[in-house]
Amino acid sequence: MAYTLDIFRFDQATDEVPHRDRVEITELPDTATVLDALEHAKAEIDGSITFRRSCRSAICGSCSMNINGTTGLACKTPVRTVLKSDRTIAIDPMPNFQPMKDLVVHMDPFWDKYTRLKPYLQPKDRDEDHPTERRVSPEDMKKLVAVANCVMCATCYALCPVVSVDPAFAGPAAIAYAYRFIEDVRDSKRKERAAQISDDYLWLCAHCYACSYCPKHVDPHDDIIAVKRATIEEGLTDAPGPRHALVVAKTVKATGMLHETEVIQGTVGRFNIRGLIKVAPLGIRIALAGKMPPVFLKPVPKVDEIRTIFETLEAPTL
Amino acid sequence: MIKHDIVVVGGGLAGMRAAVEAAERGADVAIVSKMHPVRSHSGAAQGGINAALGNREDDSPENHAFDCVKGSDYLGDQDAIEAMAEDAPRQIIWLEHRGCIFSRMPDGRIAQRPFGGAGSARTCYSADVTGLVILHTLWEQLERFGVRVYEEYFATALCVEDGVGSGLVAYNMRNGELELVTAKATIFATGGLGRVYRKTTNGYASTADGTAIAYRAGIPLMDMEFVQFHPTSLKENGVLLSEAARGEGAYLLNKDGERFMFKYAPNKGELASRDVVSRAEWTEIMEGRGVDGCVFLDLRHLGREKILERLPQIRELALDATGKDAVDAPIPILPGMHYAMGGIETDKFGATRIPGVYAAGECACVSVHGANRLGGNSLLETIVFGARSARHASDYIKNVEVKPSPKTLEAERTRIDGILARSGGERHSHVRKAINDAMSDHAFIFRDDADLKAGMEKLRTAREMAQTMTVQDKSKTFNTDLIGLLETECLADIAQPIVLGAINRQESRGAQARTDFPDRDDEKWMVHTLMRYKGPTTDPEPDYSRKVVATKWQPTVRSY
Repeated sequence: MAYTLDIFRFDQATDEVPHRDRVEITELPDTATVLDALEHAKAEIDGSITFRRSCRSAICGSCSMNINGTTGLACKTPVRTVLKSDRTIAIDPMPNFQPMKDLVVHMDPFWDKYTRLKPYLQPKDRDEDHPTERRVSPEDMKKLVAVANCVMCATCYALCPVVSVDPAFAGPAAIAYAYRFIEDVRDSKRKERAAQISDDYLWLCAHCYACSYCPKHVDPHDDIIAVKRATIEEGLTDAPGPRHALVVAKTVKATGMLHETEVIQGTVGRFNIRGLIKVAPLGIRIALAGKMPPVFLKPVPKVDEIRTIFETLEAPTL
Repeated sequence: MIKHDIVVVGGGLAGMRAAVEAAERGADVAIVSKMHPVRSHSGAAQGGINAALGNREDDSPENHAFDCVKGSDYLGDQDAIEAMAEDAPRQIIWLEHRGCIFSRMPDGRIAQRPFGGAGSARTCYSADVTGLVILHTLWEQLERFGVRVYEEYFATALCVEDGVGSGLVAYNMRNGELELVTAKATIFATGGLGRVYRKTTNGYASTADGTAIAYRAGIPLMDMEFVQFHPTSLKENGVLLSEAARGEGAYLLNKDGERFMFKYAPNKGELASRDVVSRAEWTEIMEGRGVDGCVFLDLRHLGREKILERLPQIRELALDATGKDAVDAPIPILPGMHYAMGGIETDKFGATRIPGVYAAGECACVSVHGANRLGGNSLLETIVFGARSARHASDYIKNVEVKPSPKTLEAERTRIDGILARSGGERHSHVRKAINDAMSDHAFIFRDDADLKAGMEKLRTAREMAQTMTVQDKSKTFNTDLIGLLETECLADIAQPIVLGAINRQESRGAQARTDFPDRDDEKWMVHTLMRYKGPTTDPEPDYSRKVVATKWQPTVRSY
């Protein structure tokens, strides 16, 4: 199987702009991964091609990069699955990061997101009071197992459109790690952790599901929802994000429909005069366009069934 | 200049455990590592970590110690083994108290599973990602204590002033500058040497860097001939499938579908120790009862649910590499280079012969594994001896002052500049291949004198070639071409001690299987092999003055 690697080349110390190099691969077996191809290119063709890698078994998280337009672990991506009809594979550094050299990026902003979590167990009681392990039921442990598989490869962070527009957003991986402590029955800082992650713009998550593409099946999106729920359970509702979630739930439960007038007021804050003045032009434009929603909404028929759904799911409401 | 009381080289389990212990004791400690700690190959450990907690069945540290002694084929030092087995339960609880996500029994205690060569179910685990969860727990503790990590710094040389360790020289990969790192105590925790072989379960980073640096500085390497070949690695890429599979009940089958292990280990079958299982597999393959050079690991009877709950990672690794789903097909496997029992010689506190220099984890040889390591003991060794070395170092630093070593920095600068300026020589990837071929073709599972000597000759040639190695990348930013060359130099230096040790040891013990000397010789060989560095192209010098320490157990026939 012959193909061409079309590789992003850049050295932060010497290059103002990146360029690309094409490397022909002809002698690898059909089962080769993109990492195998890069290793071969570096060993036999051009020793200056630069990338991070170590385990080549999808556990160290080093080799995340952009491969023909989508981000993933090079060691877990067989060449044959990404080969396009022109038999070229475009390889680029992860998006949402500053490139350092070729496919190597500056990871520090990603690690900083973890440091802000105070990512270590802070138990309720003293270790000395436990001569043996703290007991944890298999069910409680199981909640943490999915996140325990996270290898911090930053694929989700690179794929996240919210990170791309607001680098202060914690990003899916760190929120999943926050979940790991928030849901740990041995930890005592559930509220503090929920507050911290809220401060790190938890509620900016747009639920686009991009992070559900995870090489390790961690699916941080599930954890983001769970963390949002935990912040509401901890009473951290005085911010536009949680207010919005709660008022949407409230109006749907009450009427079976999204009641936009109330949602806008509820999200901004009913007594937040300055905020309401700020959104007023939007209201006026909506009214002029003849799309003003009614001030009072009549519940849909069989609204009881919708309320039953809420009660069954025990979704938090105002 | 960077200066700390204690500098740990390597950010895997042993290195981080050492750093956390030092931090808890109030020492000024930092880690120098060629990659971010969570990238370390410790995270690839799958099956578990041994400790006689007795959660699942009656057990004791003494039982654990005996299993290690027997597993080591009586070459392990029993005082060190007893210390490790004794400390094991405490260390597991220490990890659990810091949040480690161990799998649990219904009553909430830590779950344990059977492992090869063990008398009872002693291996604590987290599904099949045990190394990863411990790695994360220790990294969390680095965050907690704010331990400084010099990330993507490659150590190149040890500094020794007036016979005392005074730190090291490290190459900052991000800007290409060499820096002097002065420390009262230096702890090597740089992991394995798997990349000296053509195929290995080890990652690309396992290149014996610390082992080679300590060796060049005059510290002997011990028992290097003992290389563990893991019974279940994938043919396609050498990736490991955990012993946990057999611990949970998987079978090994030959081409006739026969569970052949009971021919070789009538009592333990698939759960005999690794050296025994690997030799059995290789015998089956050599005698024509394999398929395409493999035998099979069969998990099917465990059922989908158990496989998905306890062994999800290995199922996916096998699926990715072979296209076969372990839920409904046997997986072709073969023995693959996995672990170095040998390494930097230390005492039972992790101290080397140079004051102020320590080693812990796979790069060290204490020796607790002797001629063959039991599964679940490598993670344990990293934790126990990482902590012990830092404990010893924390006391040691109280009464010493060290001088910085600018002349070592200058010498390294000249050396690295010389490498970058070289032209016309051999590509380092080709020298690496020559070393790999010598090792895999001549120092594999079964060995004999003529074959080993042929391998030794090839290594002499490879080391000559290594003097001319060149890089194509001359840049200062993240020069992995240069790092690859430096790693190949390390492999070139530590390969000969393995082969020379194997030539000299005219007996079969543990992982050293000599077809020309098939028996164990306790009269002559209850000694450790020490190898001293004599120069970049000179053979190492052997020394057999260190005797095996036996406290309770005398060598007897070893069968499983």
